Amino acid sequence: MQTGYILLATIAVPLIAAAVLLAVPSRYPNVVRAFAVAVSFALFGLSLYAFFAYQIAQVEQYQFDLRWTWIENIGMLGEEGITLHLGIDGIGAAMVLLTGIVTFAGALISWKIDYRNKDFFILFFVLVAGVFGVFASLDLFFWFFFYELAVLPMYLLIAVWGSSSVFPTFARTKEYSAMKLTLVLVGASVLIFVGIFAVFVEAGLGTFDLPTLYEVEFDEDFQKIVFPLFLIGCGVLAGLWPFHTWSPDGHVAAPTAVSMLHAGVLMKLGAFGIIRLGMQLLPEGAEFWMPALITLGTINVVYGAISAMAQTDFKYMVGYSSVSHMGYVLMGLATMNAVGVNGAVLQMFSHGVMTALMFAMVGVLYDQAHTRDMRAFGGLVKRMPHFVAFFSIAGLASLGLPGLSGFVAEFNIFLGIFRTYPALGALAILGAAITAVYVLRMMAQAFFGPANEKWEHLKDMSRYEYAGGALLIAFMFLMGVYPSPFVDRIADSVLRIPGIG
Amino acid sequence: MEAVTQQIPLEHFLALSAILFSLGIYGVLTRRNAVLILMSVELMLNAASINMVAFAAYASPELFTGMIFAIFIITVAAAEVGLALAIILRVYRNRGTANVDEVSDLKW
Amino acid sequence: MGMSDAWLLPLLPAAAFVALTLLGPYLPRRGDWIAVGAIGGVFVLTLLIIADFTDALAVQGEAFAGVANSIQWLEVPGHLELRLGIHVDAVTIVMLAVVSFVGLMVQVYSLGYMKGDSRYGWYYAVISLFIASMLALVLADNFLLLYFAWELVGICSYLLIGHYSHLRSATEAAKKAFITTRLGDVGLLIAIILLWRETGTFNIQEVIAAAEAGQIGTEILTASVVLLLLGAMGKSAQFPFHVWLPDAMEGPTPVSALIHAATMVVAGVYLVTRMLPLIELVAGGPELLLAIGLLTVFLSATMGLVMTDIKRVIAYSTINSLGLMFVALGVGAPAAAMVYLFTHAFFKALLFLGAGSVIHATERQDVSQLGGLWSKMPITGVTFAIGALSMAGLPFLAGFWAKDEILVSLLDNRAAFVLVLVTLPLTAMYMTRVLILTFFGEPRDPESHEHAHEGSPFMTVPLILLAALTLVSGFVVFDQVGKAMGFPGGIGEIIFLERAHSFEFDVAVGIGSTLLVALGIATAWFAWVARPSVPARSLALLRPVHDLWANKYYLDDLYQAVIDRVVLSIARVVAWFDRNAVNDTGVDGPAYATRYAGYLMKFQQTGKLPNYALGMVIGVVTLALVAFSLKA
Repeated sequence: MQTGYILLATIAVPLIAAAVLLAVPSRYPNVVRAFAVAVSFALFGLSLYAFFAYQIAQVEQYQFDLRWTWIENIGMLGEEGITLHLGIDGIGAAMVLLTGIVTFAGALISWKIDYRNKDFFILFFVLVAGVFGVFASLDLFFWFFFYELAVLPMYLLIAVWGSSSVFPTFARTKEYSAMKLTLVLVGASVLIFVGIFAVFVEAGLGTFDLPTLYEVEFDEDFQKIVFPLFLIGCGVLAGLWPFHTWSPDGHVAAPTAVSMLHAGVLMKLGAFGIIRLGMQLLPEGAEFWMPALITLGTINVVYGAISAMAQTDFKYMVGYSSVSHMGYVLMGLATMNAVGVNGAVLQMFSHGVMTALMFAMVGVLYDQAHTRDMRAFGGLVKRMPHFVAFFSIAGLASLGLPGLSGFVAEFNIFLGIFRTYPALGALAILGAAITAVYVLRMMAQAFFGPANEKWEHLKDMSRYEYAGGALLIAFMFLMGVYPSPFVDRIADSVLRIPGIG
Repeated sequence: MEAVTQQIPLEHFLALSAILFSLGIYGVLTRRNAVLILMSVELMLNAASINMVAFAAYASPELFTGMIFAIFIITVAAAEVGLALAIILRVYRNRGTANVDEVSDLKW
Repeated sequence: MGMSDAWLLPLLPAAAFVALTLLGPYLPRRGDWIAVGAIGGVFVLTLLIIADFTDALAVQGEAFAGVANSIQWLEVPGHLELRLGIHVDAVTIVMLAVVSFVGLMVQVYSLGYMKGDSRYGWYYAVISLFIASMLALVLADNFLLLYFAWELVGICSYLLIGHYSHLRSATEAAKKAFITTRLGDVGLLIAIILLWRETGTFNIQEVIAAAEAGQIGTEILTASVVLLLLGAMGKSAQFPFHVWLPDAMEGPTPVSALIHAATMVVAGVYLVTRMLPLIELVAGGPELLLAIGLLTVFLSATMGLVMTDIKRVIAYSTINSLGLMFVALGVGAPAAAMVYLFTHAFFKALLFLGAGSVIHATERQDVSQLGGLWSKMPITGVTFAIGALSMAGLPFLAGFWAKDEILVSLLDNRAAFVLVLVTLPLTAMYMTRVLILTFFGEPRDPESHEHAHEGSPFMTVPLILLAALTLVSGFVVFDQVGKAMGFPGGIGEIIFLERAHSFEFDVAVGIGSTLLVALGIATAWFAWVARPSVPARSLALLRPVHDLWANKYYLDDLYQAVIDRVVLSIARVVAWFDRNAVNDTGVDGPAYATRYAGYLMKFQQTGKLPNYALGMVIGVVTLALVAFSLKA
């Protein structure tokens, strides 16, 4: 059992960093960059510590427990009404580590941002604070607060630093994508909000404290009615079909680091919410609704993969592959058995690292070539061997190559699905085969084949991009070859979720 | 003191206030000059104040809530008149008219 | 160094891979010595393991059931435990011998062949990773590690086929190979998971034991066996997955020798051999295997006849050989299949390396541009001839003995026996043809012929060693040879312990097959040496047949059409649906509806103060009336 202020630090450090950045004159962009990278490195260190210091198989489910009462004994609020209650279980520990990794890599990749980089990093750190907050919060009120804190900066980050695109048959402005993303996510969060208050009132304990509410046995009908609110509300952020379209468009418009955080971490908030609010709070509702979720998850997997196959824009392809891979997460959760849910959490981590790398690499290319049409490229391996190696590793992880993180996660998910729904499991594996098709098509088209002279001027990655990519790859290999540190922490917590058989 | 509440029934006060209020509404609805509309609004406010005071005196004479409210209304109305007249003055300076129909930039 | 330490084998080349990948450019000679050293170490360790194996046999005799050793990889307590482990038995020993020896030969050969390649270090890194994965594959005691390695050899194959990445054709071939085998792998993975679902274990021996004890339902077992076969067919290039193997010849030739002849493509055969007890439990399982094998044998023999690329001809002969192994497995003769696998590895690697030698010397690989190389490259010529005739099945060469074993096992199955016999002269014919066209006659491309020369000793020594093995390795079928090598009861008794089988040589079959082979060789000699006008005349006569074969029965075109027309069309439709129906209608629709509602409502803002006031009055009055009426 670990205690301490480390979780508070992961939230406070980025907020303080944002405040400090406000005071830095914007005429020193390099100071801003160095400071941002230093802070994100510190966050990476903190999250690494939180992950490895987390102790397995303790009596207490949540570690680094910290509780500061904010409001109590007023109106409907009783004892410990609203408290800043922080704590992580193994699932949270993995997610905190993921956030640390992607934040650090994202900050490194963002070194090259020139336009108002101070403002960029301020919003970036606010977003990061929100994400850490969600993963660490054990209080419904603050969970929701941090959730909104993580979503809203996205609007400005995309609308100001993003890019508009014109395609042969349609166009997407960054304002459109930013607006759609924000409205859809805020709209979904209304459902969560309603659900939170329904739970609060139904429990009648006058507290938003999650561990307290976990003890309550809610009426079965109530669970069946309220669970879909959490499922859809959080599911939208996880890219649940048919509410996924904000995601590919949002990625395409977003600047590189935001895409990384967005697909790498933010989409995990949704899946995390389904576990924390949905499955842990309302187990019977979960049991009732999971067949619906696994159906939608299967559609996510296959539909996302097929859509990705038709894309010619790098970012759209990666965006749809995220939809497909988040489908695996949803399917894993929907199995409601220890292996499948364990796999889902592994996949959350694995996909986070992998997709962040993919977006980072697309950014490397786009910033130089100013196009993302994969048909325009060819033979890039000659000019940019390291870039191609990094991108290929991400691609291979996404098609589930053993030795990389994707395999471990997907293998667990497949096992879980087959235990409950064998036919859908076959479809899920087929989805992985389709992934191989579009990843290899992309690689064959853009990376190999005759070199296109038009791109003679392209340079390989800068050292910051190299460092960020190498960091992500290191964790992909770590989890792919030696998954025990992850599985031990996650499985321990998954087995404590009620209703997991 | 007991004279007034016993000599004059409550209904008289209410009727007075209703008449004043209706006059105010009529003024607001028919007048086009902003100053006159403002005066009509004041009429309605005063009608409400009469109501408050009358009810207070008849229903619970030992309390002064109605009177307090009336004083509040008078104070607010005074502030309101000051603000509204200032606005009307600015509008008139800008546009050379105080006719509210012609000041419709915010429609649609 | 005992059998239980065999887990060290894959780690050596894996370490070489890591070293070469991370430090490659900074190492002298790009680190090729690390890779070659690693495979050399593997070879030495394999010899030690074989010694340990024969010792164990001497002590335990036929009771020896293999040595296992494993570690935990990940665990969900109470629900799932994944272990990585090794299992060494007779089949493993055969595969280890093949992989380590051919691997060593090919890596030494590559020192000469790949010299000056712009991605020399990367080549050695990937080939080390391949060796590591292949060793892990044959050592695996459980399906998880097997699948793990199975996929890794696939990706190594992908990377090596696409080694000349500036060529569009190489890139496409690599993609095709990976995706085709990956489709089979979907089946394999589902089968593995289905078997786990029924038995709760990934351990191969335990699964087989459970199946034999009847713990697996018939339907599930049938489904898993069929799906398992899909995986094996993909990897071993069986019909209808065979299309990737000829294209895979785009890779460097040593890669073709190692991966696409001797080791990776026989992984499917290895898997089927391991799982044969399971397959035989399923009604129709062996028959399916046999049918696939026969179809593959027949198709590849005909297609090989008309190919003009020297490597492609050998590739079709490889498909032919793999088909033969499936046929042997289908009639329940795993020992015959394994002995064919064993000898095939040597003579097929020899053929590819010989072809590589020719390509290296002339930079041509189409037989219509070769010819007359015998005098220029005597070592290559002689060794290639040994390999080609072994493949053709000329007596006393390795291929002859192995093929004979398969034919003998087919004696009870008349139809299959005849069909295989029919393909014998065809195989002999095209192997002789490629030999004649490459090494004899007039040089058809004098310029490249001019500067053709024998390669460095790095290239010739492996050729000679492999040729020597091609000459002698077939004798392992004789019990006396096996006993002399330390296998009590002969290798046949040992290679497949569950089914002790003494090799038998049937003189009648041997003579018959020799006659057919001689017929094929004679026809080839007649057509391409004695009467060179024959091919052209018969081509005129048999144009449709030739076109059918030269176009590979139009299967490649069919697949391409399915991918282009059907799969990609579906993808485009789904993408269109997503953009227009889901997004523009489903998501933007409500947004536009809201905006339109606002547009309609805004006309309430007339800008006329009295209107607003009237609205308020009406509202208040209505509310008051409602309140009163409710009260009353």
